Amino acid sequence: MNLDDMYEPNRRDEAAREGGKQSGENNAPLADREVPLPPVATLDHVHRWLDGEAPEPTGLRGEQARSLEFWHRMEEETDRRRRVVTPPYLADRIMAALPQTASATAIAPWWKKDMNLSPAAVVALAVGAFSLGLIAMRLVTG
Amino acid sequence: MKSTVPADQVDQVDADQEIIARVLSGDRDAFSILIHRYSDPLFRHALGMTGSPDVAEDILQMSFIKAYSHLAEVRGRFDAWVFRIVANGCKDWLKNIRRTHLSYDEDDQPTGYANPEEELDLTELRSDLDRALQTLPVSLREAFVMKHVEGRSYEEMAELLSTTVGALKMRVHRAREALQALLEEKYA
Repeated sequence: MNLDDMYEPNRRDEAAREGGKQSGENNAPLADREVPLPPVATLDHVHRWLDGEAPEPTGLRGEQARSLEFWHRMEEETDRRRRVVTPPYLADRIMAALPQTASATAIAPWWKKDMNLSPAAVVALAVGAFSLGLIAMRLVTG
Repeated sequence: MKSTVPADQVDQVDADQEIIARVLSGDRDAFSILIHRYSDPLFRHALGMTGSPDVAEDILQMSFIKAYSHLAEVRGRFDAWVFRIVANGCKDWLKNIRRTHLSYDEDDQPTGYANPEEELDLTELRSDLDRALQTLPVSLREAFVMKHVEGRSYEEMAELLSTTVGALKMRVHRAREALQALLEEKYA
């Protein structure tokens, strides 16, 4: 039967002082007897917490702890800004400044617009195109 | 590409389209529904970008007038479309203010806080954060304001700014690091 022995560490020290032999358990590597520390958080953990992708980091020290404290203060301020609302008079001011009618048709670029040509313009364009064709043909045939 | 728009957003788009149709058919007053529906997040954006409530109000007014004048051109989400008008209005204002070296009134503080006593206690932090934000490049400030002040998700930001989630995360992280470097000594 195994019993918990509260005085084991003291005995171990005594044994060490006496230079006596230690039990097999006492010969275990030091790492096996240590309580593992939480992983050291980096600035990346703080970013992930601020991004809502990770829980708030714990066990921070030094620079990281200061960073966390800093962002807690900034979050208080940004939360307040998130509650800011439009001044109540603004909607009326905008409505009063609107033109009388909204544009019912989209403003299309010139190449998408319908083209209106008079018969005279069509004849002029045809004569122009025919003349250009003649000139081009003469240039090609020499 | 397959669109994965949430159902409530689809309803919202339909509701907006219905109002737009009413406005285009001559019901001018219906436009005020759209103003009330979207002005708060847009005002917060303009305020975060410019740091001045007066300028934010002017940008919002000009943006809604522009939206009204070009209402027939809306395709898809009205809120995303009007957001882009406001965001461009803010960028234009920032460009002009840099060019002319005009400075707006630094005492011109945001309005609309819930509790006036709370406001007094935090005036210093608020103005320090405003000043620090003004030193950031526009793209970093925009990303920080959208994430921390408007509380938008990276996915929503990516859709509104037509960029990637990764690029926005990078901008927000760089903005945080810059702000921390400027303000940590006083506030940590």
